[in-house]
Amino acid sequence: MGKSQPEMIRGTLDMLILKVLSLEPMHGWGIGERIQDISRDTLQVNQGSLYPALHRLTREGWIRSEWRVTDNNRKARYYVLTRAGEKQLGLERETWARLSQGVARILATG
Amino acid sequence: MRWLNDIGYRVRALFGRKAMERELEDEISFHLEMEARKLEARGMSPVEARRMAAVKFGGADRFKEQARASWGVAAVTDVGADLRFARRQLGRHPAFTAMATLTLALGIGGTVALFSVVDGLLLRPLPVQDEDDVMVFWSPYNWRAIEFDFARGRLPSFDALEAFTNEGFTLRTDEGSSLHLATLATAELFDVLGTQPLVGRTFLPEDDRPGAEPVIVLSHGLWQQAFGGDPGVVGTRIDVSGRPTTVVGVMPRGFYFPTPEMRAWIPLEMDPESESYQNNGWLALTGRLGAGAPPARVQADLEAFTAALRERWTYNPSFDKTRNPVLTPLREYVMGDVRPLVLLLLGAVGVVLLMACVNVAALLLAKASDRTGEMAVRAALGAGRLRLSRQMLTESVVLGIVGGAVGVGLAVAAFDLLVAALPLPSGLSDVISLDWSALAAGLVLSVGAGAMVALAPMRRLLRGDLSDGALGSRRQAGLAGGGTRTQKGLVVAEVLLCVVLTTGAALLVRTVDRIRDLDAGVEPKGMSSVDVFLPVNAMDEEERARFFRVLVERVEALPGVTAAGLINRLPVRDGGWQGSVTVEDRPDLNEDGRRPSAYWRPVTPGTFRSLGARVVQGRGIEDGDRQGATAVVVVNQAFARSLWGDGDPLGRRVATYFSRGEYAQVVGVVADVAIEGLTGEVPPTLYVPWDQGLRSSEYGILTVRTDGDVDAFLSAARSVVAEVDPRAAVGRMVSMTAVMDDAMAEPLRLRFFLSIFAALGIVLGTVGIYGVVSYSVQRRRGEFGVRMALGAEPRRLLAQVVRDGMTPVLLGVAGGLGVALVASATLERFLYEVAPTDIGALAAAAGVLTVAGLLAAMVPAWRAGRTEPSAALRGE
Repeated sequence: MGKSQPEMIRGTLDMLILKVLSLEPMHGWGIGERIQDISRDTLQVNQGSLYPALHRLTREGWIRSEWRVTDNNRKARYYVLTRAGEKQLGLERETWARLSQGVARILATG
Repeated sequence: MRWLNDIGYRVRALFGRKAMERELEDEISFHLEMEARKLEARGMSPVEARRMAAVKFGGADRFKEQARASWGVAAVTDVGADLRFARRQLGRHPAFTAMATLTLALGIGGTVALFSVVDGLLLRPLPVQDEDDVMVFWSPYNWRAIEFDFARGRLPSFDALEAFTNEGFTLRTDEGSSLHLATLATAELFDVLGTQPLVGRTFLPEDDRPGAEPVIVLSHGLWQQAFGGDPGVVGTRIDVSGRPTTVVGVMPRGFYFPTPEMRAWIPLEMDPESESYQNNGWLALTGRLGAGAPPARVQADLEAFTAALRERWTYNPSFDKTRNPVLTPLREYVMGDVRPLVLLLLGAVGVVLLMACVNVAALLLAKASDRTGEMAVRAALGAGRLRLSRQMLTESVVLGIVGGAVGVGLAVAAFDLLVAALPLPSGLSDVISLDWSALAAGLVLSVGAGAMVALAPMRRLLRGDLSDGALGSRRQAGLAGGGTRTQKGLVVAEVLLCVVLTTGAALLVRTVDRIRDLDAGVEPKGMSSVDVFLPVNAMDEEERARFFRVLVERVEALPGVTAAGLINRLPVRDGGWQGSVTVEDRPDLNEDGRRPSAYWRPVTPGTFRSLGARVVQGRGIEDGDRQGATAVVVVNQAFARSLWGDGDPLGRRVATYFSRGEYAQVVGVVADVAIEGLTGEVPPTLYVPWDQGLRSSEYGILTVRTDGDVDAFLSAARSVVAEVDPRAAVGRMVSMTAVMDDAMAEPLRLRFFLSIFAALGIVLGTVGIYGVVSYSVQRRRGEFGVRMALGAEPRRLLAQVVRDGMTPVLLGVAGGLGVALVASATLERFLYEVAPTDIGALAAAAGVLTVAGLLAAMVPAWRAGRTEPSAALRGE
């Protein structure tokens, strides 16, 4: 079960979803695919856990959902980043940068 | 605005749930479809692709569950689901549910009801301002007015010092005469209490001066009862004991002093010129401590005061007020005696509740083990462990609340009965009621009991490995679980508690037997008594004497009446009228401090016969013992023995305080008749002819012996009295058996309650043991089958099951005996000639529980012994 792939760090999934949605509105499956593509398959999104996260973010008001018709004429729920979501993404990005710097520094020492 | 969005979302999740469910469904199927399409594009067959998509997605149900959880309303919707599930579960096992509900209901209902009693008696504030500062002095109702005036001004740590005493009065209205109790008090009593009247005023400082206009303050209850709550009655004159008296005020509802049975307050006339001022020791003293009076200074004040008392008067050792000066806070004075009793009962019913919880927990645990399979399946389907235990909790809390509701219902329905059955001092029952605080307590208890009950099965659920249950068979799962040990622990606890309760009940049973065996010196069966009062100010002495003479004659002539007489105080029930005695041939006892004291009882010729008192020497009081004839006296055995030992009492002469020192000749000896209560030695008593003692009394107790129905006479008594004179009022009308029961009310009622609790406990314990043993038998059915098939003797299987079942029972009995040895000490004050560690009582409790346990274990064991090997092995 994909042991070689790094486990998604808790909390980062939210940030990745927000990032993907900042590019364009997308449905759940598409978000998962997009994360995988962009990370060149290094990040595997546990597909089922995607939906709880999406619903949670909706509740927070960072994203909203609307039903749209896909390219091949199929109704799907699309998620759209809200203004609050953009702000949140900025915050998370800063936090992430600080965190990864910190981790990198620790690893660099001896 | 985030929170707005959040709330909007949650609201939709709650109320638009169907739509959200459908959307979630659509979303996931869209996802699976897209995934499958992707895989198909990589060359998989459509079927394979669909399967892979589902596998990749993982347990769709679990994720749906998580997604739902992220809607943020899980706590609400799950509770709804849990409740529905609980209802189904409980409905599926009606016998278990009924048993558990009833058990909890009895425990909770009893606890709630007794809590209300405790609340009313011990917790609710008295209807008095700053009650902690109001003190009642030692030796209540023993102070003389002259001593009270002496005390005033000698106790600087008190802001105020007042005297009061209680007296019956007849109230004559258009509807006839009725009898009530009033408190006579000095004028500033209400200032000490600090309670304002509802209507009108309380006493003015001049109201207790000699010759003051007679006034009365009514209690709310009497105002309602006699005057229909008419405020116009204030300012009018009413007939109080034949004296026109002005109503000046009405106290608010709920006010009482010193006890709730007092219906009115009348100024206590303090006339230094009167004889009673000097001689009648009948007052109780109360006072309000000054703000911030340090205890040490109060103590110093009291010591200085008693020293002054000692200097001023010489006290008979049995009435020495200077010896032990103690102040009692008002609450303790009013409620003091009942505190240990109600707390004891609350404790006992608490034990029953605890047993009920333990019992239901054991039953639930057995049921939970049976549901191991179900739980395992549901866990495999994605139900979280916490979610499952929450469900279990919901189930038992529902059980607790249903039980609590039934219990509170029971408490409401039976509350008056319960209060009537409690041996409370009269009047106190009026201040107790079941109110909202009790219902709140009921709710807390219900939820608490439910949660407690769920603890054991939940612990097991959280600890045990659920997946095993799904893989292995249910039987294995059961054996693997630690359920039986917990269950046995619960049985131990149950039996232990039950032994404690049963020991208590047995101790009280023995106490009551001991008291019943006592000889009160009267024959209660067929005897009854009626208190009769005359309006003292409206009839002169001759009229009063004639009234009582005619009354006795009329009653004697009634059909079914075999004897009738008068007495000033009813045996067994009433003390009072005790005075010092001068014995002619014992001049050595004539010094002030050494004079013997005796009870003084004027009686008519029919009194001994109506009481069933036995004359053992000489004669009783006879018709010829009239006013003007030779003064005679009949003494009881205790008196004769203490004064003259084995010497012949007849012909000796005694004088009493009540006969103003005039000597009377002893003409007979009567067997000891109990004075107040049934226990303890009967004190020396003198019986004198009514005509020579209390001839013009305005008060008398009619004693009547009937060969027919006592109640028939009592129901006719009132009209007989009214026929003789309509101005007469009737007070208490009681059968002697009731008086005897009243005298041992505490042990009797306590026996009643503890027996009920113990019986309940035994039933609970038996059910618990039965449940646990039969459950283990059922689980080991396969094992028994194998052993039977291998040739094991049924008798040995039976013995083994019984032994297994009895181990926790015997442990519980042993533990219970240990606890009972300690706990029964709390009963000591209610016991009579029975030690709290009475071997008989302990043995009885141990025996009852062992036998009950044995029976409870035998039934399932017998079933085990009859296991059909083939059936057992074929079956699961």
